[in-house]
Amino acid sequence: MKKTFNYMIMAGLLTSMFCSCHKLSVPITSELTPNVFPQDSAQFIQAEGPAYVALRGSYGVEYFFMQTLSTDEEILPARGGNWFNSGENQQLHYHTWNSGNAYMESMWSWQSTIIGLATQEMALLNEDEPSTNAGKVTSIAELRTVRAFAYLMMMDLFGNVPIDTVAGSFVSQPASPRATVAAFIESEVKAALPYLSTAVNTATYGRATKYTAYALLAKLYLNDNYYTGGTARWNDCIAACDSVINSGLFSLQPMSTYFSQFAYNNGPNNGTLNPEFIFAIPENPTFSSGPWGFRGTNLHQRYDLPRSEKAKFHINFTPSAPESTIPSYYAYFYDSNDVRNNQWLTGLQYMEDGVTPVTVTTTNLGYDQFYTGSAPGASYTYQVNLTPDIILRQDVASFDCGNDEIAWNMGYRCIKFHPDSTSPSTAMNNDIPVFRYSDILLMKAEAILRGGTVTNGQTALILANELRAARTTSTAWINCTLDSIYNERCREFTQESWHRNDMIRYGYYENSWGFKTDANTQHEIYPIPFTALQLNTKLVQNPGY
Amino acid sequence: MKMTVFLLLAACLQVSAKGYSQKISLSVREASLGQVFKEIQRQSGYSFWYKTKQLDQAAKVTLDLKNASLEETLRQCFKDQPFDYFIVEQNVVIRPRLVIVEDIAPLVQIKGKVTTTDGKPLGGVSVTLKSNKKGTTTDENGDFSISVHRGDILVISYVGYDSREVTIGDQASLEIALTESNTQLNEIAVIGYGRTSHKNLTSAITTLKPEDLNAGAITDVGQLLQGKVAGLNITANGDPNQTAAVILRGASTINSSQSPFYVIDGIPGADISLIAPADIISIDVLKDAAATAIYGNRASNGVIMVTTRKGKPGEGQVSYSGYGGLEKVSRNLKVMTAPQLRAFLKANGEAFSPSDDLGANTNWQKAIEKDNAFSQSHNIAISGGTDHSDYIASLNYANKEGILQASSLQRVIARLAINQSAIKDKVKLGLNVTYSNSNSDDVPYRSVTLLQAAQYLPVSPVKLPSGAYFEDFTTGGYYNPVAMTNNSTLNSKYSNLAGTLTALVKLPFSLTYNMDLSYQSYITNQGQYLDSYFTDNFNDMYNNPNPGLSGHSQQVFGQGGQATRAAYTNTSTLFEDYLTWDKHFGEHHINAVAGYSWQDFTNNDGFTVTTANFPADNISYNNLALSNPYGLSGYQVSFGADGLYNQTRLISDFGRVTYDYNQKYLLQASIRRDGSSVFGANHQWGYFPSVGVAWRLSQERFMLNQNLFTDLKLRASYGVTGNATGFSAYTAQSISGSLGTYYYDGTTTAALGATQEANPALKWEKTATSDIGVDFTLLKGKVGGAIDVYNKTTTGMIYSYAVDPILVPSGSVTANGGSMNNKGIELALTVIPVATKNFKWTSSLNLAHNINKIISLKNPLFSGGDSVLLADPEGAGQSGSTVEILKSGKPLGQFFSLEYAGQNSSGVSQYVSATGKLTTTPTQGVDYHYLSNAQPKLLLGWANNFRYQKFDLNIFVRGSFGGHIFNATRADLFRPATAQYTNILEDAAHETTADYNSYLYSSRFVESGSYLRLDNASLGYTLRNVGEYIKSLRFYVTGNNLFVITGYRGIDPEINQGGLAPGVDYNNFYPKTRTFLLGANISF
Repeated sequence: MKKTFNYMIMAGLLTSMFCSCHKLSVPITSELTPNVFPQDSAQFIQAEGPAYVALRGSYGVEYFFMQTLSTDEEILPARGGNWFNSGENQQLHYHTWNSGNAYMESMWSWQSTIIGLATQEMALLNEDEPSTNAGKVTSIAELRTVRAFAYLMMMDLFGNVPIDTVAGSFVSQPASPRATVAAFIESEVKAALPYLSTAVNTATYGRATKYTAYALLAKLYLNDNYYTGGTARWNDCIAACDSVINSGLFSLQPMSTYFSQFAYNNGPNNGTLNPEFIFAIPENPTFSSGPWGFRGTNLHQRYDLPRSEKAKFHINFTPSAPESTIPSYYAYFYDSNDVRNNQWLTGLQYMEDGVTPVTVTTTNLGYDQFYTGSAPGASYTYQVNLTPDIILRQDVASFDCGNDEIAWNMGYRCIKFHPDSTSPSTAMNNDIPVFRYSDILLMKAEAILRGGTVTNGQTALILANELRAARTTSTAWINCTLDSIYNERCREFTQESWHRNDMIRYGYYENSWGFKTDANTQHEIYPIPFTALQLNTKLVQNPGY
Repeated sequence: MKMTVFLLLAACLQVSAKGYSQKISLSVREASLGQVFKEIQRQSGYSFWYKTKQLDQAAKVTLDLKNASLEETLRQCFKDQPFDYFIVEQNVVIRPRLVIVEDIAPLVQIKGKVTTTDGKPLGGVSVTLKSNKKGTTTDENGDFSISVHRGDILVISYVGYDSREVTIGDQASLEIALTESNTQLNEIAVIGYGRTSHKNLTSAITTLKPEDLNAGAITDVGQLLQGKVAGLNITANGDPNQTAAVILRGASTINSSQSPFYVIDGIPGADISLIAPADIISIDVLKDAAATAIYGNRASNGVIMVTTRKGKPGEGQVSYSGYGGLEKVSRNLKVMTAPQLRAFLKANGEAFSPSDDLGANTNWQKAIEKDNAFSQSHNIAISGGTDHSDYIASLNYANKEGILQASSLQRVIARLAINQSAIKDKVKLGLNVTYSNSNSDDVPYRSVTLLQAAQYLPVSPVKLPSGAYFEDFTTGGYYNPVAMTNNSTLNSKYSNLAGTLTALVKLPFSLTYNMDLSYQSYITNQGQYLDSYFTDNFNDMYNNPNPGLSGHSQQVFGQGGQATRAAYTNTSTLFEDYLTWDKHFGEHHINAVAGYSWQDFTNNDGFTVTTANFPADNISYNNLALSNPYGLSGYQVSFGADGLYNQTRLISDFGRVTYDYNQKYLLQASIRRDGSSVFGANHQWGYFPSVGVAWRLSQERFMLNQNLFTDLKLRASYGVTGNATGFSAYTAQSISGSLGTYYYDGTTTAALGATQEANPALKWEKTATSDIGVDFTLLKGKVGGAIDVYNKTTTGMIYSYAVDPILVPSGSVTANGGSMNNKGIELALTVIPVATKNFKWTSSLNLAHNINKIISLKNPLFSGGDSVLLADPEGAGQSGSTVEILKSGKPLGQFFSLEYAGQNSSGVSQYVSATGKLTTTPTQGVDYHYLSNAQPKLLLGWANNFRYQKFDLNIFVRGSFGGHIFNATRADLFRPATAQYTNILEDAAHETTADYNSYLYSSRFVESGSYLRLDNASLGYTLRNVGEYIKSLRFYVTGNNLFVITGYRGIDPEINQGGLAPGVDYNNFYPKTRTFLLGANISF
């Protein structure tokens, strides 16, 4: 009896052990898995977001450096070792970059990410095809346009790039020739066009509309000759510009409100839109930029505003201000009646009242680190005076102006994006335009001058004067050359990240400015970064690197 | 000696004698002895034990017996035989007849009993005559019987015990107690799902008793073990709130999970902070796979088994142990004093800004430290029991002030453990409940505070005459560290509850059934407040994180004070049961275990909120409702990190067989089948096998006649373990998550997208370890030790592999890929040079050498992963200047930076470029070279214990040799060119201000990290039976970190060896301290 009992216990225990639960699945209740997201129109909007956030990710800071510090528009020298950062900015100025320059890596991965995200989000939205949901179709078309724009930027910087359009694939593609990429961008934009919104209002602000697509095409066609080496497409460019012009939805800001379109509140205000903005990247210090961090914001005040003018502009932090323009670029601003001159901080500085000088109290040595007179530590107060030239006083090899007041006052500073006193941090609320109406006008004018056909009776001169009438009180031009358009573009698009593109198209990228003398045309295309070559072994380094 | 074998066999057999007659009738003529034995066995039920060969010499037997007794029968059988016999229970054991030469003194038969000192009978003990080495062995009851002459000397010896000699006088019987030799062989080792003695181990396990552990004001188990176990690399700083980094036999993965797996009183995965050091009775460090594989996919980093005190049968006991200690900073950075810096600037034609130079001479490091930090700990335990039950209850209170202002730890641990037997002791039920509550204070942004304290100009005062803090915000990233400390608070409360119900059932057929049911909950409640001074002045400050993949990031604080509250609960439920079959068949011994385990975890069940703008600072983080975040333009309430909450489940089946033949040949094999919900759908289950063999040479006959080895064992083992931790629970799934916010139709809209790619192929990392070892005891226990050689290879390392973001926009996929190898040798040696009645000196040394190498960092699917630059100290102007690299063929902690090549003719530091030329403008990442690495070549621990009468003295020295440190702290304080803005090191005095490169991270700042530390020394005095009430009393004084011998120029060479980027001194060290404490242990 006892034995039987024992056997029963043991049988029970053995059964409990070996037939025990072996179910491993646990419910996921805290994450967005594909079965819960995206499923409705509000979620479609959210699912589009990552591509827009990513686009904002580096557009305002590092992409701006790539398109600007490599030109005569701006320079970012070191100050006592600060801002040297392994010579990244020095290399951009001298055109001596290599594939180890950190900007190459961040640009390549940034643009690849926008493309990858757009592809992936399109696939997520497409999951339960066929879809008749209009919102969803528009969302997919927007993502396709944003992806095409990322391809345009990437191809513009790096030449041949891989075309990847399959979500979920782990197989890398080899780079396609620049011309193939250009053709791909064109076909993508055209495929998206029918489904893009034609409305220009608060709901479509910051999003890709039909006009974004036309502006993008105009940019592509204007540069097509350079990108593909093929037949010039001036008339295609003009047609794309006309599609924007003829919509009648855009116009130029008058002189009196010129700067308001770059101010901290330049987004939609009570339903009123900035009439020049075709496509802009909305910025807000409170936006979270996810993986892009603080550089996914507009940081111009951090880089351009002199340290001494914190109080004048009522900003909530001390800017570091290593960045300034170069005298040869400032020279384009010779027309004293031009409203755009006011974007520069030059010479002696005064407070808002225009009378009280901006002063700094330091020591003799703090003012001039090379001071050799008596009492180097004695207090010294002076009025801030911004000087035009960049002088590498401390060390030429390390691109260093020195770390004293003289150095910090070097260079004229651009405050086109007016410092944002409402922001708690360095980030600004000023939205950054990508395509403006004035660009459409000047692109059309340039295409005509380069051999395109006049449409709507708008000659290059008429188009240029239409813009100038909104910018200067000087008399209208009586003639207009390609160079006059170039000069006008310099004045109009400062800090709008188009200058490298313009210089290359005009053949001026090999000129000398500042300390730069390099004239190697291979430098019109940046090198593919190390990491990209490592992650995609099918890539081939660009010639000359 | 053959007899031993027979005896043991005989002793192990139990044959029932019921139903047999004791009277024998037998009539044979010229029969063989074998036939006669068979017949006697048939009639009596007694078995005969002999070797067949022996009977060849037997004479034929002729008998005619009726109803004779067994004794009479046997007497007649053996009358003319060259054999003798004796009876053990129902067994007749045959042995050669002892030929005794008649001597003057008559032979006497003397009986005796051999026991251990605590009275347990010892079987198999050799009892021999010293004169002729002949003798017998004891039976399983410890009894023996031997024929001797008066005056003979008997030698009683047994492996693992000190031999004794007894002179035969006129005793009728002998009672001999053998004392265990001082050898670890007889210690019990706690293994997974069982325990065994060290002599039966086939694996590498180190067992530590409380007296072996480090003494001092220690609240962390890792620090108790520091330097004590060969192969265990433990690094700790002075922070009372940080647990030590524990790495066993080199990091086995680049995955974040590198710490050993803790098993407390048999409960796997228990939280180690639950245990008060005073409650520990033993710690077993399971090192090789044969020991750890039973814990399957959680065992790759080694397993540490902690066993707590139990009640003992007998009179109830009350014991108290406690100490009070005083801590002081042992070393600060030698930055310049005000006069030194003033002189330096003057010599270089520079000057302070008048706004900084207020004529002070502030020691900023001292300003954020306490002069003395006090620690105390009190532990009261009540225990007792009967033969059928035992109990222990203990209460521990520890309070450890940190040496930094506002840093401290208070902890209360209460524990109750009860065991009760029932059903005629067939069932034993146990209940163990432990509750621990910690309350710690720390400085928010402590590593920034430390950095500021090092670089703040000494000519500035802490406070202005007005009482306001001195600040100078014209220098970027420059904050008064005292103001930072005094205007912020960070408090963390942790409570940890663990309840375990155990049942042990003794079943028939030598089976035992064990069942554990355990529940743990771990609750954290954290509050941080940055007051209005902090938020209004230090906004946009950069943090200063530990070295790793990412650099620093800018912090946004809002205004009017910012409070963060975080409360999370982790719970775990465990059910485990296993059957053990333990059986002796003669000289064969089998122990088999088979079991099942089910564990369910819910982690990070809770929330974080950060809000700002409070009406008054004294509200702190206690009432978030009074905050007004909406009153701040652009400020947003934060809810912490995304995706913390998760649930995971682990299910396992496991089994192990150990077999030994006469404790001479040992074999162990185990297997665990582990399933985990964290892996991809196709790979949730894995098998983790192990096998170990050992041979105790000392048990062999050919070792009998030597006196050198008391014990000698060779071991070899191989096994595979896994790693299922160190990454998110939902890593294998496709997940959309927050990718920021953006503008949509006038509102801030969430951007949600794929943050994680599905990876159904994700599976466990596998670590295969082979280990060959020798355990030895020499000179009767005077010398003992072990040598182990191991080779450990991890494959399919789980890592976030870089992927082209055009394919996977998150830029990475967590997948199995690369592999890593550790090879090493370990030596542990204990010597007792002197052992007299009054004085005993024990010296233990352990040495370990390990070579770590990353074999590959690639995933079959992705080319990315190799050559990952990491550890970016973010010194001013050096963003992106990483100092380490993850690279196949190199170890973890490989320094990769600029190679310093002296100064050029203008006095500017120059470096070797990628092409080998010298340059003063090196490029980040490009002009880098492989420098040395952080891995130490030799770790040493050396303990000396002296006991003189009632005094005991313990001195423990440990060291680390051959490792290097990247002294980024020094580089950042090596800026002669900016000495008017931030302080520099004293020994940067000979540098010129013209050298604008002096501070660049380079080989110039790679230093040897070798050191030898007098870690702790204790002097104790013990009194026993003091008066009527006190059983024992011990007083002691302990000093910790008494001195360090090192060439390292930073604060302390003990730099974190854990994590992905070991060996970087990074401005974020917590000062190391020197402690003196006074303690008492009293037992009532």
